[in-house]
Amino acid sequence: MRFGLQLLFRQKKAVAGLIIIAALVLMAIFAPILAPNDPAARVGRSHQPPTVSHYFGTTKMGRDVYSQFVWGARPSLAVGFATGLAITALGTVIGLIAGYFGGRIDATLDLATNAVLVIPNIPLLILLASFAGTVGPLAIMTIIALTSWPWGARMTRAQTMALRNREFITAARMVGEPSWRIIFVEILPNLVPLIGINIVGSIIYAIVAQTTLEYLGFGDPLNVTWGTMLYNAQNSSAIIVGAWWDIGAPAMGIALVGLGLALLNFTFDEIANPQLRSGPALSRWLRLTRLRRRELEAAA
Amino acid sequence: MRIPLRRLGVYFVAFLFAIVVNFTLPRLMPGSPVDSMIAQLGPRATPAAIEAIKARFGAVEQPMWLQFVDYLKGLATFDLGVSVKYYPQTVTQVLARSAGWTALLVTCAIVFSLCVGVSLGAVAAWRRGGRFDAFVSPFSVVLIAIPPVIIALATLFTFGVTLRWFPVGYAYNPDLDPGFNFTFLGSVFWHAIMPVLRLSPYMIGEFQTTMRSSMIAVLGEDYVTMGRAKGLSETAVMFSYAARNAMLPVLTNLALMLGAVFGGSIVTEIVFNYPGLGLTLFTASVARDYPVIQGQLLLMTLATLGANLLVDIIYGVVDPRIREERA
Repeated sequence: MRFGLQLLFRQKKAVAGLIIIAALVLMAIFAPILAPNDPAARVGRSHQPPTVSHYFGTTKMGRDVYSQFVWGARPSLAVGFATGLAITALGTVIGLIAGYFGGRIDATLDLATNAVLVIPNIPLLILLASFAGTVGPLAIMTIIALTSWPWGARMTRAQTMALRNREFITAARMVGEPSWRIIFVEILPNLVPLIGINIVGSIIYAIVAQTTLEYLGFGDPLNVTWGTMLYNAQNSSAIIVGAWWDIGAPAMGIALVGLGLALLNFTFDEIANPQLRSGPALSRWLRLTRLRRRELEAAA
Repeated sequence: MRIPLRRLGVYFVAFLFAIVVNFTLPRLMPGSPVDSMIAQLGPRATPAAIEAIKARFGAVEQPMWLQFVDYLKGLATFDLGVSVKYYPQTVTQVLARSAGWTALLVTCAIVFSLCVGVSLGAVAAWRRGGRFDAFVSPFSVVLIAIPPVIIALATLFTFGVTLRWFPVGYAYNPDLDPGFNFTFLGSVFWHAIMPVLRLSPYMIGEFQTTMRSSMIAVLGEDYVTMGRAKGLSETAVMFSYAARNAMLPVLTNLALMLGAVFGGSIVTEIVFNYPGLGLTLFTASVARDYPVIQGQLLLMTLATLGANLLVDIIYGVVDPRIREERA
């Protein structure tokens, strides 16, 4: 674990990603200080370009885009991160159970996983959201989590199956440890790198899905988030009238979260899968595998 | 070519799941959607229309399982109910009008991204650690992480509104009569460029990443060394020896991504005002036209399953190991 963290900090990409995410989270936390004005207040005329008093200009309704951007970070990031965690938790538990117990339980869960995986997610989300009417953050979170756990479940299942027959698990079973303890105390810690990748990927997905739903008008329009900002900008034809700042600000926020998480994810991937690393580590690894294969062949 | 029975089982369960969701959701809702739909029909609410909506959404005195049997019977005859927004038209008619445009967009985008993504991935793996790899590979991961909405709006603003290179709506110039002639097809092509360019980045990123990692694994194989030892040119080894086999995980990935691609096409069509399934879904969801929204989910699920089946078949053809096993 310590080794993993060191590796993480040595990677320039990971550090850049961490800085971006940290800056956005700090901005969300300190919103009352950074933007003391009410984001819903009318402060100027319609669609004013950026000036010194309104850094990001104003919306069609004459609201300050900068205040909306800073305050909108709160629900957008909170829902994105919470949903990402929920997706990961659901996928990990289902994957662990399927992979550990095997047999009929695995067959059923694997079938369900693959089935949910091939159903197009966004149309399903839209169907659920439109029957629910206007949906609050909690409903968006539930809907996204319930439709997108299969990716994580698949990865976790494969990894658990590989671990299931290792000596330390057999030993734990023989000592008489209950299944839940073997799963959560013996197997789970070995999945930490995988869970890390899963969390980052799920947060990215959750933010994409949340933005899409809100952009389509399923969010609560009175709630200031980056998604509803896009929705309002689209409805006031900001692009056509050339008010790029109205769309640009929320778009920049969402793109930055995506960029930061992607940089982190890239590094996680390389830590968990040394094969993907480039440079000297890679050629060393290739040489080792080749040597090993030759040894095996010689032995056979 | 035989498909493993397991896969077919998965597709069957997925389709059943979509049907069951469609069937139960309106019946679980507090405050029946039926009333709101009838209210929306307004003066067009003939007794026949009201009857059709009631039967479809469970506002009839009938045991649940009988309703479900009726529902299945309807599906078997492609009867998806009537649209609330475009009333005399059925859902099948509404969907048929727009399905072709979405199919066009998605197919073009997949072919384009496969060509670009796979080549970029192959070259990045071939020169891993080089300057090309160091730039292209992280860039692909970033492409995957940026929401479709953002890319769509940025493309529209840059190339549609500011530079005015491409048209900002419709599938073809509305002044033209649809026909099989050069002007019309040219117009269709011209209008499809921006939406296709917008759909591609996500797929290019996914294909590049998958191709790179599988290609790196393949490059360690002895037959690649063999190809080099035979004195073949670098390009020949790269494409005919390594890339061919490294393609397989890309195909698997393509099958898994199809659902996401359809999701992306919805947003794209809305932003570019392109008359495909996504735009239909959007107008339907604004109007709370539940029958069309439901039909949409079924159609997209069917399309994804069909495409998955196609990938299974192609996989069998491309991978000699699977061919051998079955023989």
